[in-house]
Amino acid sequence: MKKILVYGELNSKDNTIEKVTFELLNKARRLSSEAKELKQDEEYIVEVVFCASYLVDDEINKAFKAGANRVVLIKDSVFDTFYSTVYADAFLEYFDKNPSDIILFPATPKGRLIAPRVTVQLDTGLVADCIEAEFVLKNDKLLFAPTRPTFGSELMATILSKKAPYCATIRKGVFKTDFSNAKTGEFVEYTPISYHEDRIKLIKTILNKDKNDVDFTNAKVVLCGGYGLYSNKSDEYYKKLKKLAKITDSFFGVTRKVVDFNLAEQKYQIGQTGSTVQAKLYVAFGVSGAIQHIQGMKNSKTIVAINTDENADIFKYSDYKIVADAKKVIDDLLIYFDIKI
Amino acid sequence: MNIIVCIKQVPDVDDIKWTKENNLDRNNMLSKINPYDEYALNAAIKIKSRFKEAKVTVISMGPKQAQDVLNFALAKGANRAILLSDKAFAGSDTLATSKILAAAIKKYCPDFSLILTGQMAVDGDTQQVPLSLAQLLEIPEITNITEICNADKNVAIVSVKTDLKIDIYEINTPCLLALKTECEENYIPKIDDYIRAQNIPIEEYDINDIGINKEDVGVIGSPTMVYRAFRPEIHKDTKEIKEDITKKILDFLLKVDNK
Ligand SMILES: Cc1cc2nc3c(=O)[nH]c(=O)nc-3n(C[C@H](O)[C@H](O)[C@H](O)COP(=O)(O)OP(=O)(O)OC[C@H]3O[C@@H](n4cnc5c(N)ncnc54)[C@H](O)[C@@H]3O)c2cc1C
Repeated sequence: MKKILVYGELNSKDNTIEKVTFELLNKARRLSSEAKELKQDEEYIVEVVFCASYLVDDEINKAFKAGANRVVLIKDSVFDTFYSTVYADAFLEYFDKNPSDIILFPATPKGRLIAPRVTVQLDTGLVADCIEAEFVLKNDKLLFAPTRPTFGSELMATILSKKAPYCATIRKGVFKTDFSNAKTGEFVEYTPISYHEDRIKLIKTILNKDKNDVDFTNAKVVLCGGYGLYSNKSDEYYKKLKKLAKITDSFFGVTRKVVDFNLAEQKYQIGQTGSTVQAKLYVAFGVSGAIQHIQGMKNSKTIVAINTDENADIFKYSDYKIVADAKKVIDDLLIYFDIKI
Repeated sequence: MNIIVCIKQVPDVDDIKWTKENNLDRNNMLSKINPYDEYALNAAIKIKSRFKEAKVTVISMGPKQAQDVLNFALAKGANRAILLSDKAFAGSDTLATSKILAAAIKKYCPDFSLILTGQMAVDGDTQQVPLSLAQLLEIPEITNITEICNADKNVAIVSVKTDLKIDIYEINTPCLLALKTECEENYIPKIDDYIRAQNIPIEEYDINDIGINKEDVGVIGSPTMVYRAFRPEIHKDTKEIKEDITKKILDFLLKVDNK
């Protein structure tokens, strides 16, 4: 039987499984049924591999529910500190003995460091930052075909690899999670023998005090301000929008141009080089709809855009189009809430 | 102390042009140094300014036109420029590209202390070459660097600032450092700089000079290949709201299951 391996990522604070791992597990499971539909004798099992000093039962069970047939813990206290070389070497040691046909890595900061180190040593290809993955049937052979945005997302490219294992890093937030897998499977612990000592020392961590964590992962409603809210050389309307977000229990987001002009902090940025959101409702105020921005919000359920330019690209991606002055709309909404409160 | 900076010539992504067949019309696009690589170059030149014996070598793999970005780097203050150019290199993916760079570095600049790169290239944005290169040269790396606080022959101190925190790392050389943001002043070369740069010939090496196998480079040596390329299609049934705008938006906001 063939195997899809998901490289599992844990929260470094408490070793809980990061959501992206569940997303990849669900995708891996769907890929496995897709393979069977396309070619009957083709069956893949789904394995998830973690590098950590421990993993509690609750988390292991969640991994099974999310789609894993096999959960592997490469166990060593060395993993309490993250070094790409140490992780990659230990992973490879395990992988050499337990190979698989496909490896999915999360395109997270850590995943992006480990994946190239692993694939270079396997002398195989790596498709970066994918937003889709499927199988294609070519000359009666099933080929793993991930798709990635390229050229500043102006173009999508589906990439095949000539050599196994077929490897890709996958962006977080692009696939859904699903905890309906009823079967549990096998849990395996593996102790690595050899790994590289690293030549890096973390000498100091300073909290970036003026900044708080903005985590869009569970954002239901996002109010996003674009450069169209800029007026009178002030950030007045970004502040107003933030206030509106607070009142309505929504998330405040911005485009990169707004960040570039120092009108809001980078942590609020949505898009290819910012956060990806999958909101139930996404409202764009004065956003033009550049593809790099669209990448980060297009999977939202309902998209509403307010723009003065009736031909703005953002409308192509919107469920509701409103040609209006977004600043006035914000003012009107605030008036409504001021009265109510 | 030898510092290597890897630079790439990229099309200006703000100036993308397409052919009728949906291919990139590279001939009609402007090209420039990958902006992230320029951050790395600026940082390298800054380190060089602190040490008398420090030397900055810029390396680029690409077509002959990549001379432009190398000349630009020399004008900015690099001491040595290496162009890795060969028809056989065309179509190299990240693995093949990293192998070419690694082989050239081993041959022409093996005694480096630091390799500086940009975090990513704006045209590909895979972020894979720095890591692959570090792996092939078996050196550690730090990426997403926002500042190189200090660096000498033996050790570099860098900081990685995120929205949450600032991590300061100490890393022994030789190592690879990938820069994510502009951290040094961006010096724009003057005519005199270009004239001075003319005195430094660009060293050019092909596949035979470098001594790398044909099977490892270009289309043959690249495990990945483009199966299809398409521009994202959109099928949205967009409804226009013309009246009662505020009320309708309020409806959206208040009706969404917001728990
Ligand atoms: C490699 C790369 C990565 C990038 N990553 C990202 C990313 O992650 N996220 C991102 O957002 N961008 C990203 N960008 C930038 C992106 O290309 C655009 O430049 C940016 O998204 C534009 O922001 P904007 O829509 O706010 O501004 P603009 O493009 O300037 O649009 C402003 C819009 O506001 C409208 N407007 C003006 N006044 C009003 C008004 N009173 N009321 C209503 N509408 C009004 C205008 O008609 C216009 O459509 C990236 C670019 C590159 C090259």
